[in-house]
This record gives sequence, structure tokens and C-alpha cells, in this order.
Amino acid sequence: MTFALPVKRQLWAIFAFAVAVLALSAVLGSDYFELVLTQVLLWAMLSVAWNILCGYSGYFSFGHAAFWGLGAYTVALGMLHFDLSPWITIPAGAVVGGLAGALIGFPTFRLRGHYFALAMLAYPLATLYVFQWLGYQEIPLPMKREAPILYMQFTNPRAYVALALGMLVISLLMSLWIENSRFGMSLFAIKQNEPAAEAAGINTWRWKMLALMLSGALAAMAGGLYAVVLLVVTPEAVFGMLVSAQALILALFGGVGTLWGPVIGAVVLVPLAEGLNAKLGNVLPGIQGVVYGVAIIAIILSAPEGVYWKVRDRWEARQSKRRKEPGASPPAVTTVPALPRAQRAPVGADLLVLRDVSISFGGLQALDGIDLAVPEGGLYGIIGPNGAGKTTLFNVINGFLAPQRGTISFAGEPLIGLRPSQVCRRGIGRTFQVVRAFPRMTVLENVIVGAFVGAADDSAARRMAVNALDRVGLSARANAVAGRLTTRELRLMELARALAPQPRLMLLDETLAGLGHDDLDGILGAIRQLCADGVTVLIIEHTMQAMVQLVDHFDVIDHGRLIASGAPDVVVHNHEVIEAYLGKKWAQQVNEAAK
Amino acid sequence: MTKILTRRAITKGLALSAGALALPSIGRAQAKSVKIAMIAPMSGPWARQGQLLRMGAEILADDINSGGGIKALGGAKLEIVYADAGDSTEKAKNAAQRLLSDEPELAGGTGAWLSSFTLAVTEVTERAQLPWLTLSYSDAITNRGFKFVFQTSPTAEHQAAETLPTALELAQTATGKKPATIGIIQDNTASPVSFAKPLRDGGLDKLGLKLVVDQIFTPPLSDATPLIEKVRSGKPDFLLLLTSAMPDCKLVLEKLDEFKLSHGKVPLVGNGAPFGSPELLKTIGPELLEGLLFSVANWPIKGQEEFIERFKKKTGEPFLTQDALCGYGEPAILVQAIETAGSADRLKVAEAIRGMNLTTGRAAQCFPGPIKFDEKGRRIDVPMIFAQWQKGVPLTVYPTELALAKPFWPSV
Repeated sequence: MTFALPVKRQLWAIFAFAVAVLALSAVLGSDYFELVLTQVLLWAMLSVAWNILCGYSGYFSFGHAAFWGLGAYTVALGMLHFDLSPWITIPAGAVVGGLAGALIGFPTFRLRGHYFALAMLAYPLATLYVFQWLGYQEIPLPMKREAPILYMQFTNPRAYVALALGMLVISLLMSLWIENSRFGMSLFAIKQNEPAAEAAGINTWRWKMLALMLSGALAAMAGGLYAVVLLVVTPEAVFGMLVSAQALILALFGGVGTLWGPVIGAVVLVPLAEGLNAKLGNVLPGIQGVVYGVAIIAIILSAPEGVYWKVRDRWEARQSKRRKEPGASPPAVTTVPALPRAQRAPVGADLLVLRDVSISFGGLQALDGIDLAVPEGGLYGIIGPNGAGKTTLFNVINGFLAPQRGTISFAGEPLIGLRPSQVCRRGIGRTFQVVRAFPRMTVLENVIVGAFVGAADDSAARRMAVNALDRVGLSARANAVAGRLTTRELRLMELARALAPQPRLMLLDETLAGLGHDDLDGILGAIRQLCADGVTVLIIEHTMQAMVQLVDHFDVIDHGRLIASGAPDVVVHNHEVIEAYLGKKWAQQVNEAAK
Repeated sequence: MTKILTRRAITKGLALSAGALALPSIGRAQAKSVKIAMIAPMSGPWARQGQLLRMGAEILADDINSGGGIKALGGAKLEIVYADAGDSTEKAKNAAQRLLSDEPELAGGTGAWLSSFTLAVTEVTERAQLPWLTLSYSDAITNRGFKFVFQTSPTAEHQAAETLPTALELAQTATGKKPATIGIIQDNTASPVSFAKPLRDGGLDKLGLKLVVDQIFTPPLSDATPLIEKVRSGKPDFLLLLTSAMPDCKLVLEKLDEFKLSHGKVPLVGNGAPFGSPELLKTIGPELLEGLLFSVANWPIKGQEEFIERFKKKTGEPFLTQDALCGYGEPAILVQAIETAGSADRLKVAEAIRGMNLTTGRAAQCFPGPIKFDEKGRRIDVPMIFAQWQKGVPLTVYPTELALAKPFWPSV
């Protein structure tokens, strides 16, 4: 991803971090400092786990204590009731955490944004009461004098540091793998624009669930070791608000959605809090909390996105100053030459067929008995005034909306009832009226996300993306961040994203809107090229002028009804069409003039 | 966290830090001091209890040092090192580990008030073989086979077993009639749950008591009406009140008053020191508290009158409570052990505690019954103490020979 360092460098960074921790542990020479170091690593792991769901996918959770606590209680109860060693119960806790993630995700992913975050808050609170009710108010882990190592009870505190470090490194490696695979790319796409991700063929539900389960499993593992280190488990200590808050604060502080953010947060804040407790706790009791709070506020104010981003932006700024970058003037884009209509392949059998498709929102009949057929290889246009129902028609075709009546078939198979990602999988790509880009990803990454659907593996997706960019003529901008593109480039990028998995049918929603005259030609060229390559295109516009040059068939919609259909030069003279666009008066005038 | 920054705490903190700056030069000039530790929640929701413990400990250090220090060690000064257990088991455990790292010469310690904190702290101190005294009364603390942990309070199990029979005895003495029915209102936190469990599991039957009201709630309580309605219809001879948070207790007492069940119509019996706290008096007032009986592990008793007065004068507190009393008494036990051992070596101090059987002296005066521990680290022959609110002061009323006032059964 754009923010990530190359994988190799990251692996080295993780290695260096591990060596540094071990070296630190070797020289600390105090049980107390070793204990605090262990806690730093454990909290870092919780926060890394949190980040896997919340940082990458943007689904914030205020309830990760649920997983932490389940891990801790798995260890404590396993030892209390069944005399099980933490060597077994910590991995078992991970399974419990993962299952809890699935159970929680199933109902909760129906919600988005703040609602999701708040719903998550409820889980640890509920489990806290459940464990109180079960009578597990205080569970001390029995001291094993006979076989301490078998029960993870070491006399040398460095063993705990090593264990916690090992678990943290596993979590970091998982994070790294996620960041650099379609898993992370999909989560990242979900974070920036979930509908676009879904339309681009990403099964958002599946990735979110996987992220939550993995996140839950890692958090539970950390919680399990926490129980071993603390030796006493109480519901308040493991399910309490402070645990959930800790996961969030550390990541926010260090940098959400980054590999190192949670670690930075833990390395700075956990010792800071403990140091304040040690220095001020017995002198001015309570002041440590105030100082801690003020420190967090100060740092968040100066680095709202977290320390990682702040440092990285500074560093990049200095680097680019040194390099004297010539600003952001985009390199010239190769314009695809427009093909004359005559060279197009002949149209084939009907690919997309709509019969009697209707949908209404409350009292508004958005689509009313639409019949439509688009032949394979055709370049069809749908026009109509604002609010006619054009975008609704696309939403019905690609699965965002389910029609209340009618059938839609694609290549002879019904489409209704499929998720947008499944529709995409069948070979229907789409773009949006307002470009739905993933602004923090590069152009190439944006397109790769779209390519996953048709690609067997990640490298194939990359090849397809490069190819798609080449086809729309945007190769030169492949590494630019999407947030910095011009409108024309964004349109082309979205076109490439939809094109990357090599769809049979493209739905283009007002791709020409908001473009200047010069920009228009480039896009029109790209669309014609698509058609020449054998892709069937259905395009929405409300400006007729450009469309007349482009398409070979018009369907006109007004007030949700199909009012005209036919070749462009016929349709533009249709009485009803003129009336719909210009009003009755104009229609009469045109009629009179014709007479 | 309302009590964190009282003006008193700040002035005291400033005074202490000023003192800490000034101290080192004096310290070096004198004989080596003996250090013992106190870990208590001095910030967070239990800060008040930690402060009371510390008040007691500070008075003890003054008493010892102004009386010529520790005699067996040539008048060595007693120095109590304090650490804040904060608001979580993690912080409490860190505090213990920190103390052990920073102060390798600790002779012993005491704390950390909340039983889950004590459980975590003693996991550390046991491994360091540091003798540790605690007033926490969870059975788990001395059920782990630890050798260096000594519980000065009777365990929860013991308290639960003793409270009701004694209350019945008090009722019978005062009214000539034994109560036959009981109501229980409790929250579901650790100590009320472990307290009430044996009662429901046959304990009440054995006492010939019929449970007519049985209500468990999850704190915080938002409205006590449904609970008290049950009390009104159930008409128990007395009500066992097991709440651990003061706001909940207040709601229950006020609602009882609203239902005209206060002023002894339904005698109340509680368990635990919070029932005798000055805060309770401040928020609820002497009227509603009058007659409330509670069993408690330790409470000011006969023979401590001089100390009670001194404590009130020195701290401005309205009366002495369990926390400050144990804050004074537990370090006093450690000092006594050091005197007996003739050494501040922690193993010898622990040995001295194990061999202890005190009935007189500074330490013994602070606790009912002899200071004598069994092999688990629990005290032997400890009588259960009952205190009762009388005119705005909770006074020990039982056992009679230790009482500072005569008990009355409120419904009479």
C-alpha cells in the first residue's frame, strides 16, 4: 500500500525490533522493568490485533476487551477446573477468540460507522456481567511448585518477555502479510468506500468477518498471556472499559492502519503511564492520570493521525525537498485514438435482458416496468433528465438494490438476489456517477482492487491492473495517489478498475459528467476502444450531445418509465423525448417547425 | 475517581514532596533505617481507603520513631515506603514488583486493601519471600499454599458463618425472641456473592431462618423500589444488606425510609467496613443509619480510646475506622516481629510472625483476639466484631468485653 515500506524492509524492521527488545531485556536487570516490558509487548499485541480489524477496514471497535477477557478466562478457568497448562489454553483461547469474532460479527456487521463501534462496546460489558453472574469474580492461577515451566510459571521474568515478544512478532508478521495481500487491499478498499469495493467484486462481508475473527484470536492470545503474567483474573481487569480503550488509544496514538502504529503507541504510552504511577502515585495520588491524559491530548493535537504518520510526512517532506520535485504537474496522458464506428465488430445476441423491472421507494415509483435488452458487443446509451431513474436502474442491475418486480438476466442467467460482488464476478463492471475512488491508494492499487475478482492470485491481479491502465491510457500515472488526480484521470482510473477483471459488460454511470471539452475526447476514445475490444457497454448520460456521437442505440427513461428506444438520430427527434427534456412548449414548437 | 484531588491530598502531596527533597541529607547522618512497604489504592475509586490506611501507618511511624525507634536494632528508625495500587490489578502488581526492585532491603509489607489487588501483589511478594500482612479477607488469599502471607482479618467464609448467629444472639438478648425470617438484598460483586452463597446453601436452614426476600442486583443500582417492594410484602424479621458501593446502600436506605420501613421497623444487618464509613454518614445522615448493625473484621475496641482521640485530632476524621486501625496495626505487627527476631532480615521476620502469640502490646491492641497465625497464615481464635450506628457514630457493641457501647435491637 502507499504508506507501507517494501516488505523486505519491514521484515528487517521487525527483526531489528525483536533484537532490540531482547537486548533491552538482557540489560534491564530488574524484575520490575522486565514486567513492564512484558506489559508493553502484550498491550502492543492487543492493539495490533485491534488494528487488523479497525485500522485496516475502518470498522472501529470499542469492545476488544471481549476477546482479551475471553482469552484470559480460558487460561484461568482451564487451569482452575481442568488443570490445563497455558501452553494449551493460550492457543485454545485464540480459537475461542476467533469463534467469538464470528459470533459477534454475524449480527454486528449489519451496522456501519458509529453504530458498529457502539454495538461492539456492548459485548465486553455483557460478558463482564456474565462472568460475575457465573461466580468468577476473582480467579487466582494456582502456583505450581512441582512443574512450573510446564505451567508457564517462570522464575526468570525474561521468559515472559520472550513469550510476549514471540506472540507480538507473530501478530506483526500477520499484519504485514495482510497489508501486502488481497486481504489487506480489500480491507483498505472497504475502509475508503465500501459500496465501491463491493461493486468492484470484493466480497466485503467475507473479508470483514475474517478480519474480525483474526483480530479476536490475536487479542485473546494476548489476553491469555496477560492472565499468566498477572496470575489473577477478575472480570473488571480483563473485560473492563480500560482494556478496550487501551487498544484504541495505543493505535490512535501511534497511527491507525499502520503496521507500527500500535507498537509505537505501546512503547511510548505504557511505560509513560507506569512511570507516572511510580513517580507520582504515592506523592500526589491521582495526578498520574491527569498527566497521562494531558500528554495524550497534546500529542493527538499535534499529530492527529498518530505519531507514525506525522514522522513519515515530515520525513517525506524533507526527502522531497532534497530531491527538488517539480511539483505535481501530471505527465502527459496518451490519448487513445477514436475508432470510427464502421470498424466495430458486429453486435451479437442479447447479453443483458431486463423484463418488467420495477422498484419504488415509498410513494415514489423509481422504475416502472422497464424492458431493456443489450446485445453482446453493443454500445448502448441510457438517457433521461435528472431524477429519471437511470442510476437506480444500474443499482438494480449490479445488486445494490433488489427490484420488487421483474427479471434481469445476464448471458441467460438470472442476476436478482446476488450481492454486488457476485454480480461483478459474473462479468459486469461498473463506474459511479460520483467517482468512488480509494483516495489513499495509488492509481495502480485502486485498479488492482478491481482486478482481484478475475485474478487467480495477487500477481495476476497486478498484471491485469497494469494492462487495464494501459488500455485507458493512464499508465503514466500508475503510482500517483488517487486523492491527487484530476477529474478526468479519476474517471479513467475508475474505468480501468471496472475494466481490470475483463468484464463482458460495463455499466458506465455519467462517466462524461463534469468534464471539459478536451477531456471529453480522451474518455470517449477510451470507451470506443473498449467496445472495439469486444466489451459490451451500457452508459448513462443526461447530456445528449456527447452521447449522440458515441452510442449506437438510445434508451430514454423518464419518471422511471422507458419512453423511447432506438437509433440516436431517431430518438432525438422523438416527441416524448423532447418533451421530457425541454418541456411541452418546446415539444410543440419542434412539432410545428417540422410541419 | 471523585476523591482524587481533594485539597487535603494536594497539600499533603506538596508537603511530602517538599519533605522528600529535604530528607536525604538528614537520612544519611543517622543510623540505618528499617524499611517496610505499604501498597494501597491511593488513586482511583478506592483512594479514600488507601489514604486512611496511610494515615494509620504514618501515625505508627511517628509513634515508633519518637519512642526511640526499633530497640532490637539499636534504635533504628522505621521507614514506611508507600506505593499506589491504583485502580487495577495490573497497577497493583506493578507497584509490588517496583517496590521489590527499588527497595531490596524491605523487611516486610502490608496491603493492598482490595482482595483482587492483594492476590496479585502477594503473587510477587511470595516469590520474593517477603512477609506480607493483609486485611483483605478473601479465602483465596490464604488458600494458595503461600508461606509468607498473613491475613489479619477473619476470612470471608468465617465472617459469613459467624455474622448471622451473632446477629440472632444479639436480637434474642435484646428482645427475648429469636427472629424467624430473613431478607437478603445484595449486589453481585465478589465479596457479597461469596458471603451469601453458604447461607443459601443450607446455612439459613441450620439457623432456623426462612428466606422471605432474596434480591440480587448488579451495581450500580438505578432504582431500589422493586427491591424494597419485595421487603414490604415479605416482612422479614430483619434484612441482611450486602452492598459494596455506597450509592447503592444510600438508595436502599432512602427507599426503606420512603416505604416507612426505616427507624428499625425492619432491622438492618450489614457486613464490612464500608457500612461504618464517615462517607456513609455524610451522604445518608445519622437519622437513617441509627441502629444499623454490621459485622466487621476489625473495629475500634475497648482499650483504644486514647488512640481514637489522637487519631481524630491528628487527621480531622470524625471517627476511627477499620482501614486506619489496620494501617496502624499491621505495620505494628511487623515491627513487633522485627523486635522479636532482632533482625530486619525478611526470612527471620517471617519466622517471628509464624511463632507469634501476642495478647498485649501495641500490635495486639489493634486487633480483637490474639495475634496468632495458623500454617495457612490465618489468625486463630478471632472473634467477629459487631458495630452499630448510635447517634452518628458506629460503635463496637459485640463481643461484650471489647464493646464501647451497648447494642440495641432496633425494632424494640
